Parts: sequence; C-alpha cells; structure tokens
Amino acid sequence: MKKDTIILGVIGSDCHSVGNKILELFFTSEGFQVVNLGVMVSQQEFVNAAIETNAKAILVSSLYGHGEIDCQGFRELCIEKGLDPIILYVGGNLVVGKTPFSVVEEKFKKMGFDRVFPPDVDLKKVAALLRQDIREKFGQEAVPEENQPGVALKKHPAAN
Amino acid sequence: MKRIISIDIGSTWTKGASFVLESSTLKLEKKMVVPTTQSNLVQGFSEVLSGLLGQDKSTPLARLSGSAEIFFSSSAKGGLRISAIGLVPDLTLQLARLAAMSAGGKVIQSFSFSLTRSDVKELEKQRPDIVLFSGGTDGGNSKYILENALKLREAEIACPIVYAGNRAVADEVAEILREKEVIITENLMPEIGQVNIEPTREKIREIFLKRIVSGRGLSQIVEIFGTQPKPTPLAVFELISAIPVYHPAWSDVAAVDIGGATTDFYSNTESYLETDTVILKGLREPKVKRTVEGDLGLRVSAHSLFDTAKDYLEDRLKEFGLEMARLETFVARIARNTEYLPQTEEEILFDRVLAEACVYFSALRHIGGWKETFTPQGKVYVQTGKDLRRVKAIIGSGGYLSQEKSPEVMLYPLEKLKFYGEERKLLPENPEIFRDRDYLFPLLGNLVEKYPAEATAAALASLEKLS
Repeated sequence: MKKDTIILGVIGSDCHSVGNKILELFFTSEGFQVVNLGVMVSQQEFVNAAIETNAKAILVSSLYGHGEIDCQGFRELCIEKGLDPIILYVGGNLVVGKTPFSVVEEKFKKMGFDRVFPPDVDLKKVAALLRQDIREKFGQEAVPEENQPGVALKKHPAAN
Repeated sequence: MKRIISIDIGSTWTKGASFVLESSTLKLEKKMVVPTTQSNLVQGFSEVLSGLLGQDKSTPLARLSGSAEIFFSSSAKGGLRISAIGLVPDLTLQLARLAAMSAGGKVIQSFSFSLTRSDVKELEKQRPDIVLFSGGTDGGNSKYILENALKLREAEIACPIVYAGNRAVADEVAEILREKEVIITENLMPEIGQVNIEPTREKIREIFLKRIVSGRGLSQIVEIFGTQPKPTPLAVFELISAIPVYHPAWSDVAAVDIGGATTDFYSNTESYLETDTVILKGLREPKVKRTVEGDLGLRVSAHSLFDTAKDYLEDRLKEFGLEMARLETFVARIARNTEYLPQTEEEILFDRVLAEACVYFSALRHIGGWKETFTPQGKVYVQTGKDLRRVKAIIGSGGYLSQEKSPEVMLYPLEKLKFYGEERKLLPENPEIFRDRDYLFPLLGNLVEKYPAEATAAALASLEKLS
C-alpha cells in the first residue's frame, strides 16, 4: 500500500530542532512518508509542501510559547490554497505560563486544528489517531482522484 | 600537432577561432568575426571557417572539411525560448525556471497552479520553442498536473512539451498529450527540497539539436563535419562547470556575460554552508547555476534595462554629473542601431553605467541573501537563495566586459548591492576580477566536452586580472 504523506515542521521563529528530528524518525518508523521542513517554518512553506506532495496531514510543532500567534489563520490559508480536507495537528509548549491544557486545546481547535497535543503526549497514541483520522477523511484505499486536495471534499467547520 | 576550430553563430555576429593543440596545450592561432546572416546561418559559418583555414571564401563547405577538427555553437536567436509551468511558485516552478536557464534557454513566461484560459492564450501567442511542464513530487500532487495536461492538449501549440513532474502520473500525461510531441523525463523535484535538474537539462539540449537547429541550415554542417552544435550559453556553462574540476585553485568562481540582448550570470560554488545560526529556507540551489536576464542588455534590450534600472541609473548619473534625459536619448539610439559604438566621453560613460546596471540586477537575481531574525534562542540568519561569499574570482565575458579594463564596472554595483532592503546579500567577499580578454569563453566552451583539461587551461590562460 502507498504510504500516506505527512508534513512536519516547527513553526515561526522557533529553532528547537531536537524534538523535530525525533518526530521525523518516529513517524517514519510508523510507516508514514514524512516530509520534514525542519525549524523556522512559515505557514506558507507548510502549505506549499503539502500541495506539491499531496499530503494528508500537517503536523505543526511549537515550543517557544508563541504558537498561538504563529498558528493564527493557518486553517484559513489552507482553505485559501485549496487544501480543504487536510488534517492539521499541533503540539508542543503552545502557550507561555500555566494555562490549563483544556483551554489551550479549545483555543487551537477554534483556529481549525483537528487535534492539539501537550508536550508529554505519548507519540504512539498520536500515530494511532493520525491513522484513524486519515482513514476517516480520505478512506482506506489509495485516494481516488476527486478526493485530492484542491477539491472540496468535506468542508471544515472553519470554512463556514 | 592538431588544429582545432571553434565557431559560435551568434544572433548578430559569427565568431570563430582556430587553436593549435600541441603536447596538451591549446594555443590561440587566429580569430575572426563576420556578421551573421539570419536567413542562412551557414553563410557566416563557412566564411569564418574558410578565413581561419586561409582558404578562399567561395570554397564549398564540403571541401573545407578534413583539415581541422571543428566544433560549433549557436545562440539560436538569443537562446531557446522556454515557457515554464510549475505548481507552487517557490518550489517546482522555480526549479523549472532554473533548469531551463541552466540548459541555455531563456524563460519567456512562467505559470503556476492551474493554467487559466488567459494563460493558455498567452502561451499560444508567445509560441515558445519548448514548454517545460512540471509540478508535484513523485507520488504527490496529480490534480493540478492532469488538469494542466488537459489544457495543454487543447492549446494550439506545436512545440515539444517536456514533462518533468510527478512520476506517478507521467503515463497519464503522455496519454493525454499523445497528439503533441511530448517528452517524459525525471521529476525536477522528486521530493520536497530535492533538486534534480540534470535529466531535464539533457532533454532540452537534445531538443535544441533536433528541432531548432535542423530548420536553419545547420544540419548541413552537422552532416559534413560530424559534429553537433551546442547552445552558446550551455558551452559557457560547461566551461564554468569544468574549471574547478581541472584547476582546483579555481574552486569557487563566477562569471558575468553582458550581451546586447541578455545578461548571463554563472556561479560554481556550494550554495549553502550549514551552521547553527544560518537556516536555509526554500530550495537548496545547485552548485553550478546559470541565470539569464532577458530584460538586461546593452543594445537590443537597452529599453527594458533602462526601465528596470531607472533608480540605479539616476543615482549613478548624478555622481558623474550627467543627465537622465540624455541617457534616454542614447538608449533609444543604441536600441535602434545595435551596432552603434559610443563616440564621445559622455557616451562611453553611458555605456559604462548601463553595464553596471546589468551587473547590479543580474547579481541581485542570481545571489541569495540573509535576513537577521531574533529568536528566543538568539540571533539567527535566514538564508534564501545561493551563497556566493566564498567566490574568489569573477570573470567578465561578452562584448563589453571582455574589453573593459577597470574592475570597477563589477565592483561598484556589487558594493551597492551589499544590502538590499532588510536583506544582506551573500556577495563574493573580496573577489578578484578578471576579463576574458580575447572573448574566448563561448568558443572554448565548445571544446570542453572533448578536451576538458586543455580548454579550461586555455580559458584560464586567457584571463587578465584587473586592478
């Protein structure tokens, strides 16, 4: 079976590269086709890579506390670029201070992220969820032509 | 001892030189230049060849063969005109443009994402020599690609289409375009950030040989002398590629060729040095790179140069105490009368500032930059494009720069370019400036494939260091 392509990267002016490399190794070993954009990645770069590779998901990391600002408008940009059905995950130290995670999660979900993860999440769990989400959105088999990004398949709530 | 002749059929002039090859040294023996007859390219060729061989002008071409080994190149009216199609502007489209230019072509238009109806009209109107069609990584996007293939099928274009996109749909693309001449080659970007332009360059070169050359009388030369022509810019590209291979002291080198119609910029140096404080964004550009600017030239393109470089020219004229209005008149004259040579002090200075502007803008587009960014981990530099800081030598070639004895024509505009907006340009640090004093680079470039060591040595021997 063809591997599902996912895009990885650390957003904004964030240079934390160690976790990013671990994520790359992990998701590769989990059977995904990983495109790792590394650190200091802009929203536009995530989207560009997703278009060229026909990716099913973008996994955004943020560790330096400015994630909320950096991720603002990410879903809208995806829709603007015809990536409507793409799955968006975000994780890391998303905000500074001691905000309860449920509040953080709520905030990023409102922005259009499908799932939000705290820094101590079990990666195995993330991979399982990712597989499940891809199956739900894109179906189990190789994606038929009309289901590719660029064609509105399933409208994301943020599109309305 | 062996005599080798190299001839370059340019759009205005046909230039040739004969060399003597003795104990692996190439020595220039004789040079010759005649006007090119566009309707019959062979005419200038045989005139130069007979002249170099010391034969009568009317000697039939077939009887001139045998006495020397012959190589030739043709600029095909300023280079192949290529329309580039990619998906994302910063990714596959940028690579398509780079591949086209590195193959010796000129990008006349580029399109990203879906071809619109007006894009197709524009394509039909421009009548390119080649359509370079890319997009998608291997196994990546196919929606846009197939959509664009369908549109190309309906377009009224007769030129070959080179497909260098997503391999997963290459067969489908070939099937859709079966009524056109379609050539399938490897993907320019098989994975995000992976640059693979060689196969495309090779296909473009083949098309150049087959299609463009045969129509213009050159097949006769191929038949008689058993030698294939090269696109002129490709000859220079191959020379610049080979120089460091055979002469490691010249490991990081760049060349600028200002012509009447275009300005070409070549560089041969690693494009990015990875460090903790420098982060590369976008594509890692190839070690050997050529860019060609169709709007920068000292004669045919003088008008567009003037428009592009207005601010630069205005500043510079002030320093010389010259007037913009008079430069404008001069530009109108040289664009009309392309063989015109400056007559007065003022006109010489005009040519000089126009040449500087060609250097400035071709360098601006060829060379990458750093932007300083502050992060919680400290200051980092974000690099886009190619780093030329390690380039130790810049060679000037082409009609103007091969004559120019002052390094300032290059150094002055480069100095001005150090900062561009908030970007620090990655210019060569303290480069030495050379001139190709006999304007031999295109001619020696023709010999590189067969005599790489000898041709590169002769090229370096023909350089003069400027100070």
